[in-house]
Amino acid sequence: MAIYDLKAPFRDEDICALRIGDQVTLTGEAFTCRSKLQRTVFDENKKLPDRYRPIRTLIHTGPIVNVYQDRYELVSFMPTSSVRFEKWGARSVREWNLQVIVGKTTMGPDTMAAMKAYHCVHLSPQSVSPNLWLDSIRILGVNWFDEMGSIEAPWLLELDRLGPFVVDIDTEGNNLFDEMDLHVQENKLNVYKSLGIPEDFKPTKLH
Amino acid sequence: MIQQSTLRQAIDQAIVRGATWISEDVLAALEKAQSIETNPSSKKGLDQTIRSLYLSRDRQVPACPDTGWPLFFFKIGNEALLEGGLTALKTLTQEAVAAATARGILRRTMKHPLTGYDPGNNIGENIPWITTQFVPGDEIQVTYAAKGGGSEVFGGAQSRMVAFADGLTGIRKFIIDAYTAATRAGAICPPSILGVGIGGTANISADLAKEAACLRLIGSRHPEAAFHELEVTLKDAINQLGIGTMGAGGKTSVLAVHVEYAYTHIAGISVSISSNCFVARRGTCCVHADNTLEVRENPNWFGGR
Repeated sequence: MAIYDLKAPFRDEDICALRIGDQVTLTGEAFTCRSKLQRTVFDENKKLPDRYRPIRTLIHTGPIVNVYQDRYELVSFMPTSSVRFEKWGARSVREWNLQVIVGKTTMGPDTMAAMKAYHCVHLSPQSVSPNLWLDSIRILGVNWFDEMGSIEAPWLLELDRLGPFVVDIDTEGNNLFDEMDLHVQENKLNVYKSLGIPEDFKPTKLH
Repeated sequence: MIQQSTLRQAIDQAIVRGATWISEDVLAALEKAQSIETNPSSKKGLDQTIRSLYLSRDRQVPACPDTGWPLFFFKIGNEALLEGGLTALKTLTQEAVAAATARGILRRTMKHPLTGYDPGNNIGENIPWITTQFVPGDEIQVTYAAKGGGSEVFGGAQSRMVAFADGLTGIRKFIIDAYTAATRAGAICPPSILGVGIGGTANISADLAKEAACLRLIGSRHPEAAFHELEVTLKDAINQLGIGTMGAGGKTSVLAVHVEYAYTHIAGISVSISSNCFVARRGTCCVHADNTLEVRENPNWFGGR
């Protein structure tokens, strides 16, 4: 599989050239996101600050940040599960002009459709290695810190070859984990056999 | 008499260790998995994770930003005397969690379940959660287990009532189906340590599963042959699924399967699974009656395993 070092601003054709299974590192600005940001913007109709508008990389994460008078210290960082943000996924892609979402657990059909229509990819980590990533991230600032707290506030980040992450949703509508799951489901039938679970076994319904 | 200040030090050490330190048994299992892996993505993922875990130990920073629900497991000696009495366990754990949160050892993770209110210190109704066990002796041992959101929320913790009519077949099928679904797309950060609780009421089996996942050492075995065989056959079977590291495919889909059980009602068998992510963290510290501290690798929660 190819490895791409992507540097923002990304060209549309570079995003569209990515295929599931490709490895990617990211350079440039990004901002972080969890439910509270999306609820605030999409459900409560508060405007995303202008500073975020040109940034087209979103990272689902809840970092640990120590806040000092004159600086922020990023203590730990790990992309977090995207599927719980599926409710706002398509709107985020469309209204925030996203080209890259970094998260975990992939995303659902609505967001995948928006990613295909608006040319956006989803990237996942293949390790839990926050200490290898910290040196690739610089905190530029934050908005709504008091309202949202340090996990959920949208941190503005400067990335320097952050990754590698794997492309698990591409702009053609392919999902790496859907394909992986087909293999696992096939293997599961053999596992049933090895454990003596009959193919036609139906658990007794108790309620 | 054990001083509150000494017990507080033990709790502090358990938290720091439970958030930043990877236990020897888990590290050995990860290194073994890395050495035998042939899937390039999983092999690389394990290698990067192991390197990061060593850095967490050295830098004393969290191994993962998700430092989990603050769960404490106390083993309290029957003759142990704590200054001011045992109700201090609640205040001491609360103070220790708040202090660790302020230092960035724990993330500000705990929220009000309805309003989302963030107290900023991980302290709230019924949190931290304390489980106690009374044992012979005069010491108090505390374990902090970082039970992360990923391993708990995305299907890694599930329960089902199985009919006696379905027996072992029904139990095995539920476990295989539940674990397979939970590991899709690396949701629960596999290869996990899979805890299984069988029997008792729903909450008893769920507690046993969680404690089996979080507190037993990898490599430990259930002393009863039937349950040990279940541990071995389930582990071998799951490792045939090809889930791999973070769902990337590969040879190791589970690091260990630990089964614990309770006698159950003739009406049915409660079966629970609880998964601990492969960055499985726990920290244990004991206060002896003479107020000396001892850090321990093994919580020895299940009497020898």
